[in-house]
Amino acid sequence: MTGMGLYNNLNIYLFVGLALLACGILGVIYRRTLVSMLISIELIMNGAGLNLVAFNRFVAPENAYGMAFTLFIMGIAAAEAAIALAIIILILRRYRHVEGAKLKEMKD
Amino acid sequence: MIFADAIFIIIVLVTLAGALMTVLSGSIIYALMGLVTTMFGIAGLYVYLNAPFLAMMQILIYVGAISVLIAFAIMLIGPLYKRPKEWSYPLKLIAAAVVALFSFFMFAKVMLKAQWAVLSKPFAISTKDIGRLLFDRLTFPFELISLLIVVAIIGAVMLSLYSRGEK
Repeated sequence: MTGMGLYNNLNIYLFVGLALLACGILGVIYRRTLVSMLISIELIMNGAGLNLVAFNRFVAPENAYGMAFTLFIMGIAAAEAAIALAIIILILRRYRHVEGAKLKEMKD
Repeated sequence: MIFADAIFIIIVLVTLAGALMTVLSGSIIYALMGLVTTMFGIAGLYVYLNAPFLAMMQILIYVGAISVLIAFAIMLIGPLYKRPKEWSYPLKLIAAAVVALFSFFMFAKVMLKAQWAVLSKPFAISTKDIGRLLFDRLTFPFELISLLIVVAIIGAVMLSLYSRGEK
């Protein structure tokens, strides 16, 4: 490992990213409303970004591609949150609820 | 070194506690607070990974923009005290926990088995290097991201306009 210290260990960062992924999967399946599912998806994206930066730091330290990809992930997450929240507001206006399990029909 | 390790352990625990609070709390606004806690923890981890620019962007974009956007959506979907709890029925919790734990242990096994080629070079990527990379080599994806964000903004506006028009 590069240097001393607990924070110079790649596996710890990977475990944190993996825990975020597992929590996100749990939330997407278990939560009731669509907004909570969106929050869980944000958790998964953060775990992916943390993994990319950790690999960039430890495995390929001579260039910054991982950091650039994490910035791209942040932009994509912002666009995705905007569109998803617009769709959630639309569903709320039409069906008067935002619960994922009750949305049986997706046609007009 | 001990002090840095202690701060690091605290940051990791804060991140994990925020993630658990996000998925297990009964109210949406507590879930949002858990998400904000997780974002701050990940920003701290970015600082430990020698990426202070990314920590800054994490706080600005996630804590500053996306969380406020989600908070607005939570305010728009109605009063909180009238709503039922966020939990589905308990059988679904068991199923979700099985799926999440299965994926966790599977990826953990893969991760511990793999031999990562960890280099012992010092890591000295500055913000200037990230900027040069974004504008020299990754110019086309960068412009595509800006196009994507413009399309997302126009799409969100059009969605809300059309739903108002047909009512």
